[in-house]
Amino acid sequence: MDTFETYEASLSTGPLRLRIAGQGRPLLHLHSGAGPRVSPVVTALTERHRVIAPVTPAFDGTPAHPAVKDFEALADLYAEFIEKEIGEACDVMGESFGGRTALWLAVKHPALVDHLVLEGPTGFRQPTKDWPTPGDPIARDRMLYARPERAPNETRSAAEQAANSKAAEGYANGITYEAKLAERLPEITARTLIIMGHEERVIPIEAGHLLKARIQHSHLTYVFGAGHAVEFDQPKLVGQLVADFLERGESFIVREADVA
Amino acid sequence: MIRAARLTLIMPTKNSPVREGAPMQFTFFHLMPWPDLKEAPTEWPAPNAEFNGERGTELYDSYISTMADAEKYGFDWVAANEHHYSPYSLMANCNLVGAALAQRTKSIKLAMLGNLLPLLNPIRVAEEYAMLDVMSGGRLVAGFVRGIPHEYIAYNVAPSESRARMREALALITKAWTEPEPFGWESEHYQYRSVSIWPKPRQKPHPRILLSASNEESAEFVGEHTAMLGMALIADLDSALKAIETYRRVARGYGFDPSPDDIVIMQQAVIADSDEQARALMEPALKYFHGVLMRPQLDAQRIVLQKSRFFGTDTQREHFVGRLSKLKARTLEDQIEAGSVLCGSPESVVKQIKRLRQHLGAGHVILNMKIGNIADGVVRRGMELFRDRVRPHVAAL
Repeated sequence: MDTFETYEASLSTGPLRLRIAGQGRPLLHLHSGAGPRVSPVVTALTERHRVIAPVTPAFDGTPAHPAVKDFEALADLYAEFIEKEIGEACDVMGESFGGRTALWLAVKHPALVDHLVLEGPTGFRQPTKDWPTPGDPIARDRMLYARPERAPNETRSAAEQAANSKAAEGYANGITYEAKLAERLPEITARTLIIMGHEERVIPIEAGHLLKARIQHSHLTYVFGAGHAVEFDQPKLVGQLVADFLERGESFIVREADVA
Repeated sequence: MIRAARLTLIMPTKNSPVREGAPMQFTFFHLMPWPDLKEAPTEWPAPNAEFNGERGTELYDSYISTMADAEKYGFDWVAANEHHYSPYSLMANCNLVGAALAQRTKSIKLAMLGNLLPLLNPIRVAEEYAMLDVMSGGRLVAGFVRGIPHEYIAYNVAPSESRARMREALALITKAWTEPEPFGWESEHYQYRSVSIWPKPRQKPHPRILLSASNEESAEFVGEHTAMLGMALIADLDSALKAIETYRRVARGYGFDPSPDDIVIMQQAVIADSDEQARALMEPALKYFHGVLMRPQLDAQRIVLQKSRFFGTDTQREHFVGRLSKLKARTLEDQIEAGSVLCGSPESVVKQIKRLRQHLGAGHVILNMKIGNIADGVVRRGMELFRDRVRPHVAAL
């Protein structure tokens, strides 16, 4: 397995920090609202893919891009990156906050997204369904993880974590339910895998149903023993699932013979 | 310790009108035993050379007719379960019997108590139960059980995986019944990349679910899943009460307050015209049941329990083994006194049922009346007495 190395791309709205590892078909991995983290799933994917993990502007101390104020603009930013630096359609994988960005990218720039993987994407929480905001790390972990003992060690300071949260809130602009995005979901042409934790507590189950119903070539999969942070709760199951999907496309539903 | 994050919450489906203060409910249960063994098999599995196909057909005819007639005898549910490789029960797949009963009955609930979930393909179980529910007009009670140790040898499943398989399969089946969109499933033991069953159950969101418990560990599991609790082969009322209290406490923690009809107690039962007659009928039947039919199972159980983690702790294993040994070793009088069986004249059985209600808070009693080789005529007489002289006196407890 490759070690991630840090790069920087120069885009029209500002610099974009990237972490890249692995060889193979490019895979753009968009991080969650917690900020960039390398999960065992992402590490395993570097064996088959060149994993490109951008740091969303304003996260982890990177400069904000003044012209990039919402998810639509973030999607445009990544579209520019794909066109300039990758040069062809690539697979895109988005975790929670990153899933929302990935959805906008697939809606607005369908020609740039080959396969799309969404892990508990945000953006479809009706305002009436008010999820509690945990005020302490233990409560937060209980909400995010079915297996809190598998949560990664947090290396960022409390101030850095707060800054990441603030950046995420900034892109959301107080919108919890993206009606416009919901309407445009049928425009997505990428074959899409929607992964939801069976013990999901952050994203309402209806969000998965909505995505499955409106994205024309989509698969909704529940992972038992996983909450919102599926990559950390069940890395083996999720890693195998995503690798299969990216490798075999629609045929991933067909079981292959076990090789002794 | 309960790990809320790892649970599957089954939606309580209170489609039954029976709640607190409502009438007691009763089930007629049949184990479908082979009644003709001359000698006890000494080892598991019981050799099947003695099986006779013509006799088998006769037995299925008689047993299924008796079960269908439970509707006429005033029972609320008729129940069947699943066992393998054994003259103890000819019901390798109770869903087949359920299908026959769906065609022969009109209103009685069909309780499958239940499919041995860790041994089976959960999608197949979800489909077969959904078929039964639709075929019967929404009369299925869906029982899921972990089973007894020897079944794991029969179906070549590691006993130590039984709890994890049970938990995963139950969650998957609930999803298969309730999801509005096709879905995939990934868990340690089950992976299905694309699920969308036809038919779905008729009852919404799904049929009532019953899970069995014989100790506090399994009672906790039932409570977590907000299902009905089923208990069989009670060694004594106090230990049963302990498990029921655990169930109630845990269920309340999940926002479900079980009512008496959620507590379902199964008892071997002989109702005859007099106490003396009932005892004279039950004693040899129990002897055949424990001494002949159960013997190979006990052998398999010994093998399984010494080499696996079928139970979570040694205490639970000892409790299970001790409970069966206790039942086997006691006299019939002791068993009646301990509340382990129902036996006697209608008047005596009324008292025994009242005791179950008062001591355990149970609002539903399952009567297992075909014990070992007891004659079918005795069973039918007991059903008549139940209808005419027992039920009227316990209906409004």
